[in-house]
Amino acid sequence: MIRLLLVAWRNLGRNRLRTVLTVAGAVVALIAFVMLRTVLTSWSVGVDYAAKERLATRHKVTFIMPLPKRYIEDIRAVPGVKAATWANWFGARDPNRPDEFFANMACDAESTLKVFGDLQLAEDQKQAWLTDRQGAIIGDLLAKRMEWKVGQKVVLEGSIYPGTWEFKVSGIYTASSKAIDRSQFFFHWDYMNDKLPPGRKDQIGWVMATIDDASKSAEISRRIDTMFDDRDVQTVTMSEKNMQLSFMAMFSAVLTALEIVSLAILIIMLLILGNTIAMGVRERTREYAVLRAIGFQPGHLAFFVVAESAILGILAGLLGVGIAYPFVNGFVGRGIEENMGAWFPYFRVEPWVAGVAIGIGILLAVVASVIPAWRASSVSVIDALRRVG
Amino acid sequence: MSSKDEAMETDVATKDAPKESPEQYRKNAAPPKALIELTDVTKQFVRGKEPLVVLDGLSLEIAEGAFEALMGPSGSGKSTLLNLIAGLDRPTRGRCNVVGHDLGTMSDGDLARYRSRHIGFIFQSYNLMPVLTAFENVELPLLLTDLGGDERKKRAKTALRVVGLEDRMAHFPRQLSGGQEQRVAIARAIVHDPTILVCDEPTGDLDRKSADDILQLLTRLNTEFKKTILMVTHDPAAAARATITRHLNKGRLE
Repeated sequence: MIRLLLVAWRNLGRNRLRTVLTVAGAVVALIAFVMLRTVLTSWSVGVDYAAKERLATRHKVTFIMPLPKRYIEDIRAVPGVKAATWANWFGARDPNRPDEFFANMACDAESTLKVFGDLQLAEDQKQAWLTDRQGAIIGDLLAKRMEWKVGQKVVLEGSIYPGTWEFKVSGIYTASSKAIDRSQFFFHWDYMNDKLPPGRKDQIGWVMATIDDASKSAEISRRIDTMFDDRDVQTVTMSEKNMQLSFMAMFSAVLTALEIVSLAILIIMLLILGNTIAMGVRERTREYAVLRAIGFQPGHLAFFVVAESAILGILAGLLGVGIAYPFVNGFVGRGIEENMGAWFPYFRVEPWVAGVAIGIGILLAVVASVIPAWRASSVSVIDALRRVG
Repeated sequence: MSSKDEAMETDVATKDAPKESPEQYRKNAAPPKALIELTDVTKQFVRGKEPLVVLDGLSLEIAEGAFEALMGPSGSGKSTLLNLIAGLDRPTRGRCNVVGHDLGTMSDGDLARYRSRHIGFIFQSYNLMPVLTAFENVELPLLLTDLGGDERKKRAKTALRVVGLEDRMAHFPRQLSGGQEQRVAIARAIVHDPTILVCDEPTGDLDRKSADDILQLLTRLNTEFKKTILMVTHDPAAAARATITRHLNKGRLE
């Protein structure tokens, strides 16, 4: 078996330029595949790492429509709910850097820190935020990107809540879980609410609650929604994961497009490998006939072709992942997290993605060799020997 | 012959024979029996819609240990006859019995096993694998056997020694002359100790000197190692080396 593999390996050296170009083509395809899969996994990282014991309650129609603030106390009174907080999507931008997008939300500071225990903030900064009405806390990735420091005054231009809003950075938070986006901007809901006209006051975007038993999340969600069934505004409550999923559903077309592109890349790779293997088999028809003549069975010839292709796949897989992994995790990923943290809070190649890429490289190589292997094994010995010489 | 070559003779050439010297064996052996027996063999191909009879009711007996040359014009059926005896093809009609096997009734797999056990091929254009060294090319047929690595190595080296290329084992075909390539091909053909050597124009691509060397080697394989040799050739000088020359014309023996 090892000697037969040696023959397959040696065959790769027959046309070195072609082998190098084929492996290079497959490597590029696999790098593109790994990058796209990383975009997709990073996009959904919030879903994957969403806290199981956190529930989100929003307006039954859409989360763009607000809830009355008084609902928060009703939710806190539901059995099984440990703590609840609320927030409004503020949607403001830095007028000096209007192209820099980052999530900014008005929230209740004390209950937010309670519900989001995985949000890490130094004690002195926490106290500073709780006591400063215009205080805001920002994620470390956002601070780095915008070059904001603790104590700095920040002015934002509101669009949903028009006007110029002044804040002071009270603290910079980090996160102990990947569920927390480290490029967000939180400030006091009271500061916003007090400045709103009477018709817009006391409205909240959504409620986040922690529960004492994650296995009861469906039951507690039902209990919350039933409570508001007869009120003027009905709610829908779901796990944090489902909320993330419903948010992602808005971008489903983009995600589907990326899925299609990654599939197209794999098909291109299949064709590159298939073409190379098929050319090799065509050129070696006479050699295969000689091997058959000296006693090799059709299965042996199929083995040579499949093994040769599989070696190409292994080389491409290892090289592709060997380049993509350090390139993304040590270089590109950090830059994307710092500059596009709102969308990709954790942009790294997951080990399973790397493993899948290597596996796909080998699998596609084997699939690409099926028809050439069948052709090689069914070569007519007499015709092939007569064709040349 | 060196002591190692004698070992080859014992190991490779006469492994089914009693343990006695080659001369004594020849003296004690029964009269040559027919190793190859073709009875009323017809081979017909279909070209387009027209049937083409290449061998026409041919009968032939070739004794064990013979060195026979097959001559004839192009299209006379020489290669087809060779292919039938080598188990690469089956007759349309008639019986083709070689080394006790009725080749016309055997499956493809059995024919492949028959070839790997009994037939050694020598082609006009050598047909060595260009990516393998001389040693690896010679070892190739042994990969189909149950022999261990050490035994394969020993036999491949012995075969290369017999053809006088022991010092070229690590060379690739592109690093060898035509004559040397053909000698490697001969080593590949004898390494698994076949009963019959089937040679299709073995000197066709060689200059006179190299061709003579190859023919001398074939003669030695026949006389010393008792290989039955069937050689298709257009070269009268090559045919002169054979003990019997048969002429084919339009699918019939003349």
